[in-house]
Amino acid sequence: MNRRREIDLGLGILDHQLVDVGGRRCGKVDDLELEGVADGPPTVSAILCGPPAWQGRGRLGRLAARLARGRLVRVPWTEVEEVKAGVELRRTARELRLGAGDERARSLIEWIPGAGG
Amino acid sequence: MKNLLGVALGILAAIGGFVDIGDLVFNVQAGATFGYRLLWVVPVGVVGIIVYSEMCGRVAAVAERSVFDAIRERLGFSVGLGALVASQIVNFMTLAAEVGGLAIALQLLAGLEFHLLAAVAVLALGVVIWVLPFEWIERLFGYMGLCLLVFAVAAIKLHPDWSAVAEGFVPRTPPSDVLVYGYFVVGLLGAALTPYEVYFYSSGGIEEGWTPKDLGLNRANAIIGYALGGFLSLALMITAGALFLPNGIDPELLGTVALGAEVPLGTVGLVLALIGITFAVGGAAIDTCFSGAYNLAQFFGWEWGKNRPPATAPRFTIAWIVLLILALLVTMTGIDPVMLTEYAVIFSVVALPLTYLPLLLVANDRAYMGQHTNGRVANAFGFVYFVVILVVALTAIPLMVLTNQGQG
Amino acid sequence: MRLSDLLGVPVRTEDGESLGHVHDLRAELSARSLRVTGLVVGKVGLLERLGIGAPQSELRLSSHDVVPWSAVVRADRRGVLVRPGTEPA
Repeated sequence: MNRRREIDLGLGILDHQLVDVGGRRCGKVDDLELEGVADGPPTVSAILCGPPAWQGRGRLGRLAARLARGRLVRVPWTEVEEVKAGVELRRTARELRLGAGDERARSLIEWIPGAGG
Repeated sequence: MKNLLGVALGILAAIGGFVDIGDLVFNVQAGATFGYRLLWVVPVGVVGIIVYSEMCGRVAAVAERSVFDAIRERLGFSVGLGALVASQIVNFMTLAAEVGGLAIALQLLAGLEFHLLAAVAVLALGVVIWVLPFEWIERLFGYMGLCLLVFAVAAIKLHPDWSAVAEGFVPRTPPSDVLVYGYFVVGLLGAALTPYEVYFYSSGGIEEGWTPKDLGLNRANAIIGYALGGFLSLALMITAGALFLPNGIDPELLGTVALGAEVPLGTVGLVLALIGITFAVGGAAIDTCFSGAYNLAQFFGWEWGKNRPPATAPRFTIAWIVLLILALLVTMTGIDPVMLTEYAVIFSVVALPLTYLPLLLVANDRAYMGQHTNGRVANAFGFVYFVVILVVALTAIPLMVLTNQGQG
Repeated sequence: MRLSDLLGVPVRTEDGESLGHVHDLRAELSARSLRVTGLVVGKVGLLERLGIGAPQSELRLSSHDVVPWSAVVRADRRGVLVRPGTEPA
């Protein structure tokens, strides 16, 4: 990430795709954690991911948060490499505890011949 | 030269892949009910799907986003989730209808027991998806779907009143039941502007890594492919208008549809028609099934893709497998696929505005599209069609109820 | 606090003048951090919720203006209070 640039949080980051250092898709930006709102310009301290993060995302968000299973994953903003079409991260999804659903689901199909991976 | 061949092959696959069970049912019933008087709706539908496919292809190439990525980003989590649920319901109805139609077509061809054939058909689809690279799948189903051209031959052999056919391309108020006419207009547009097509096309574009350089080629592919595919819809309607209407035949069964080719062309016509239906509907089943999996994965941010080892996109893979199995279960209940198709198409129409609005918005957004935002032509068409879609979406269910699904 | 807490909340000056609602948060992205520099304020009606009128869009209905964070007195789930005489630019 080279230069500074302006970006709108809701339009440019919220609900965008998270991509790990290997190019793997690992969730969406479900919410952003803000620090320092009370005293001075706030900064974005972390990306929040997972059903508990859907609480603040409207009526259906609250309903979905209650129905869905899953942990809240907090990705500190320092883990972000670049913001392009998606938010690109510095480490792998596994290291950041993202995409856990795919990890669990993998065992259900990897036994099938030709599943690869 | 190689490029030209590639484009030609792509177009062929698109033609064969254009027709699905919705088109089969509505174009034939429209012809059997109103003769040639609804022919004008087909080009209107084709232009609409070209406009929106071009847009979503451009968004995929430039903004590197699929339609559902755009839906969630632009409309937010709640509205996006609502759109996801609506699209999954409609998508699934369509999938179940395609699978049911596939089973019936196979039954007409092979004569074996329905439930057995349905299970075999779904298993075959699953294996084909698992084993074959996607290009091959599109080609296989697309080329074999070209057998539907038999209906073009049949239409000519039935010696329709060509001046009446020509008049059918000019919209005119029908002398009889306006509501039923309106119902068919809605149904035909719904069958042409299927949302799953758009989701599938845009996801495919991202998978193939389209860049702005590819835009011209894909635009040509879409325009020519869909236009020629619309030609098949016309053939179906003309055949029905020439054969079913004068004889008072109500094509409520898929077998009756195939009659349209058998009467003028004999057994050869029948077999070609059934093969064409089998592959067109089977191919559509695959597209619809993936569309459902794409939407889920793209809303929640899971890894997705058909051109990759299945285990690298586990939840996506499980999603399409589960969708196929559920569609099989629905088919096994013996529900009438033609009736299911009618419901699926009408409900798709209601969900259309939610699909196309984000697309229109993103295609106009400089932050996403840079210099490739909609030009004046794309916007003119995009807006006009959006109004059409809104009107159609609002009137679809009332018309369906009032006309008792076109029975009048 | 979360971003979702602030999106859509009403914005008022200490004098009681209503400036609309929080449409978005403008920020500066650098190599080290993402710092909020202001609030994008405007109407947040149905059309805006649908994305019609986003700042970068060719389709703009109402204008969106930015209130610099320096003008903010208090911001939370209930609303944002800004200094009197603040005019979004």
